[in-house]
Amino acid sequence: MPIIVNLDIMLEKRGMKSNELADMVGITTANLSILKTGKARAIRFSTLEAICEALECQPGDILEFIKD
Amino acid sequence: MKDHTKILSIVTYVVILTSVSILLNELREFNFEQFKEFQSWALTADKNAPWWTSENALQWSYYAISAGLFFWRGYLIYGFTYFLSILKEIEKGNYFSDKNISSFKKVGNIFIGYAINVFILKMILAAVEGSRFVAMEQLKEGFSLLIPAGLAFYILAEIFKQAQANQVDNELTI
Repeated sequence: MPIIVNLDIMLEKRGMKSNELADMVGITTANLSILKTGKARAIRFSTLEAICEALECQPGDILEFIKD
Repeated sequence: MKDHTKILSIVTYVVILTSVSILLNELREFNFEQFKEFQSWALTADKNAPWWTSENALQWSYYAISAGLFFWRGYLIYGFTYFLSILKEIEKGNYFSDKNISSFKKVGNIFIGYAINVFILKMILAAVEGSRFVAMEQLKEGFSLLIPAGLAFYILAEIFKQAQANQVDNELTI
């Protein structure tokens, strides 16, 4: 998929752990792992909003488009 | 839902048991002496004579076709057992499982296979008996309804396949 999820990079920048982010966003660590590994088929605006709020970043910092 | 599937399972069991008992009863009433007649005919038959000229051979054909009809009815009853497997999956909450999709396809195959084979056997039977075979009249009989029923199960299998894909999409939407 040409959409790359850069959650790992943002988590490292903020010095945050996956389970902390999952708690803040209100999703399970399993679902966060699906998102991090790029296995997710779609992301809800509400989830994206919660992630951006927790990581204090823009959607573009998390999602990146790379042409196949 | 669980209660409904239980009721449906009981109804399916009743249908299967009733069908099996009817089939066994008809098998019991079927004239198996015919088979012995064939054996004695096979011993005394003129090996050089063409088989279709012998009256006993025609009787044997009749027997074989009747046995074929019994076999296909048994096959149809076997098809009903897939409903139990579907209901079991639904009870577990696996509505769009691979097992259900394949069961729907198998039921469709069995229904259509049964209808086509019975149609062919009845056509051969009419030829053996020397009676008139009218295809349109045969299609008015109950078994021909299994063709649209089988097609409906193919459609259900496709719908469930699509629903399974949608379910995966939904589960992977974070």
